[in-house]
Amino acid sequence: MEFSSLARRALDTASIRGAGYADIRFEVVRSERIEVRNGIVATLADASSTGFGIRALVDGAWGFAASADLTDAGIDATAALAVTIAQASASIARRRFGEAPAQAYVDRFATPLATDPGTIPLGARVAGLLEAEKLLHADPSIAVGRAWIDLWRSRKYFFSTIGSAIEQDIVQTGAGLMAMAVAGGDVQVRKFPGDIGLYKSGGWEVVEEAALAQNAARIGEEAAALLRAPQCPSGTFDVILGGSQVSLQIHESCGHPAELDRVLGWEANFSGTSFLELSQLDALKYGSDIVTIVIDNTLPSGMATCGYDDEGTKSGVSDIVRDGILRGYEMSNDTARAIGRESNACVRAQSWEYVPMIRMCNLNLLPGTTPFEGLFEDVRDGIYMETNRSWSIDDRRLNFQFGCEIAWEVKNGKRGRMLKNPTYAGMTPQFWNSCDAIGDAASWYPWGTPNCGKGEPMQTGRTTQAASPARFRNVTVGVGYRE
Amino acid sequence: MNSAQREALAQRVLARSKAEQTEVSVSVSDASLTRFARGISNQNVSTADRTIAVRAIVDGKTGVAATSSIDDASLDALVARALEIASLAPSDPDIQPLPESGPVQTPPTAYVAQTAEAGPALRAEICAAIFEPVETADYWCAGYVSTSSTGLTVVNSSGAIASFDGTDAGANVKVTAPDSTGFAERYAANIAQIDGTSIGTLATEKARASAQPRAVEPGEWTVILEPAAFGELFGYLTSHFSAQSFNDGSSFFAGNLGGRYFSNDITIFDDFAHPLAPGMPFDYEGAVKRRVTLVDRGTVMNYVTDSYYAKKLGVANTGHALPAPNAYGPQATNVVMAPGSATTKELIASTERGLLITRFWYIRTVDQKKAIVTGMTRDGTFLIEDGHITGGVKNLRFNQSIIDALAHATLSSDQHRTAQYSYSLVVPSAKIEGFRFTSSTQF
Repeated sequence: MEFSSLARRALDTASIRGAGYADIRFEVVRSERIEVRNGIVATLADASSTGFGIRALVDGAWGFAASADLTDAGIDATAALAVTIAQASASIARRRFGEAPAQAYVDRFATPLATDPGTIPLGARVAGLLEAEKLLHADPSIAVGRAWIDLWRSRKYFFSTIGSAIEQDIVQTGAGLMAMAVAGGDVQVRKFPGDIGLYKSGGWEVVEEAALAQNAARIGEEAAALLRAPQCPSGTFDVILGGSQVSLQIHESCGHPAELDRVLGWEANFSGTSFLELSQLDALKYGSDIVTIVIDNTLPSGMATCGYDDEGTKSGVSDIVRDGILRGYEMSNDTARAIGRESNACVRAQSWEYVPMIRMCNLNLLPGTTPFEGLFEDVRDGIYMETNRSWSIDDRRLNFQFGCEIAWEVKNGKRGRMLKNPTYAGMTPQFWNSCDAIGDAASWYPWGTPNCGKGEPMQTGRTTQAASPARFRNVTVGVGYRE
Repeated sequence: MNSAQREALAQRVLARSKAEQTEVSVSVSDASLTRFARGISNQNVSTADRTIAVRAIVDGKTGVAATSSIDDASLDALVARALEIASLAPSDPDIQPLPESGPVQTPPTAYVAQTAEAGPALRAEICAAIFEPVETADYWCAGYVSTSSTGLTVVNSSGAIASFDGTDAGANVKVTAPDSTGFAERYAANIAQIDGTSIGTLATEKARASAQPRAVEPGEWTVILEPAAFGELFGYLTSHFSAQSFNDGSSFFAGNLGGRYFSNDITIFDDFAHPLAPGMPFDYEGAVKRRVTLVDRGTVMNYVTDSYYAKKLGVANTGHALPAPNAYGPQATNVVMAPGSATTKELIASTERGLLITRFWYIRTVDQKKAIVTGMTRDGTFLIEDGHITGGVKNLRFNQSIIDALAHATLSSDQHRTAQYSYSLVVPSAKIEGFRFTSSTQF
């Protein structure tokens, strides 16, 4: 396997220097972004980066060092630095917590591709975006139109002192649109698909599935129409959330609080802690009986789908919430052992420069049984909201407030007039326990998020929360604006 | 890689380009951070990174490529890729010649060798100093100690040559008591200014003083925002001072430059030479960065530009380009809010009933044009009664226009650098009348 001799050198150096366990992850990363803004190609950039990160374990404490210097000298110095850092960690540790992984793997994984993006000529990629962006300008009030494509490919080579040798070729692709309408002192924005674009593991087929040109005019028209739409009312309403907004709700109010490092206090100074304390495991009624949320890092097209995580643990499926009850966490090797469990492969690093840490992966709300139109049938006075515009939640993930780009009133089971500036708020367990209908499998979709922030130094994670539209009863609406 | 080595590398790359115009930037960083929580170091890391980027312009068409590799074959491929991309891009009629540079003066305190040379043992010493007052109180803490050195060289075919070397150090800690928390932070170019004991002690005292928090009713409150909170809030307004936001109409003062929006206490600069946050004297195009008065005693005076927007709007280039390409336009990256005249203690003493807020969390924009944001208080929220702090309160959610907040703000006489964002922010404390809280949480 590529990099194997450099890996052996690094791991030998770390061991000789005193590491009880070490692993090294080489990555060859390629990213391309094309963005069209108001008819101009504002971004056309291709970046490549190659480097490695070494983890060393000394006396139950970890050190991590990374470098782009692939010479023997660079390997030696970086391996030695990782051990020195681990020794410094041990010097201030009040207890041991790090342990070597129990199982080694020798394997390969590659993202299935229908169409390798590299086979699509750059000129064709740009032309498609220019066409889609132009169609956004469906109304004179559209001040800014944007259309973009992201292509990411990461070849990872993981080796460890217990014998793992794992090669992975992960391809992720995204595409999206945004229209900003400005008039009369107001600014309204519509994006598509979802609030950030369509992001999946896969190749050019993801861009085709996004269907930007087919939807651009509608998105521009909706942004303009929002300028004229009435303000979303304040009060208590039944709320139906579109699928991408349910995805965001899972992300913020289940995905983050279920990260076990956060539960243990490791993110306290930055991303916060969690109300899903260990004492709540197998006891907390997180949501209503129809709410089941699972980790599935084998999900086809999931942004976090891979063969092995960045600690070398094999991907699988496990429960976080089953039939409304809290059943598990997103875990690493160390944190899982701390609570008597085994890792469920939720460790990722943004790239070779970064230390692997627990990240939300593919965390999915399983579909319900209600057809999409059926979500409206039993609603006398409600609001249907789509596409996230703002998101905020307290640092234990209880008190939240989310805003959406667009809403429609629902009267006696029928969708009515468009509303602008919808916001809703609540407390996480009460909110999920108010969920009384979840869309069926036909409306279930793997919404990807490419920009989840966590950690210090902060890392950007790529994750999927598959979801259907869902209905929630008696929700506080309209808190964002002064009455 | 020092500045001479970076410049030599950049010139090697520039010489390879056959484009009409070419810009080469070489950036290097050596960043280390020791993170700790509950008596262990959960992230102790060090990364040495480098990026060589080429912007090639041909017939008004731009291509950008970047790599981390510096061998000849990789550099040949880098330039060829940038040219290939440019050849396939549509022409931009507003494209401007790459700027020339001028004389630049890096603030003398921007680079401190002691910071650049600091290793994991020194960071561990500072961590241990933070732990001591926390453990004495039988609380637990989480935070970090960081050091970094960065270097950037920009050269272009217009003759610009600009280099900068800087360092940064920082520490923050959140201390957790049985039913309360406290926070403290310190950031400086010089690691010697990072005093673990004082940071640990302040955060511990805040946790102790906010114990047994009471619930208070949401509604309109007089608040005193300490620098960490005020900086976090104000940071969500800085993008409005971009020429791009002004031009596209999303800025709150679009079409009304010269309008008065804020109280007389509010004066804001972009100033790379401020002693609390010394920064880069040129932008990512190599253009000389100017000190810009954004707001003068409540009146919006200027926005910041780059070469593109300076030409497009017919104004001077203030030297605030971000790395090309980007979707954000020029940005104010060294934001300084001038101090007021009263001490923070005097602001508290003049408050009959209000809240003292240490820090905010998870602020997000609710309404772009009105600059309404929502967020939570965090890590030390106190009730003020009759000019005195009388105890901790449970955390609250706010929905507040930053414009309205600054219209009703009185500032303290001291300034602090807050947080290690991608931009620097120096602010005082602020007393704000009528700050709108909309709900509370359980802790």
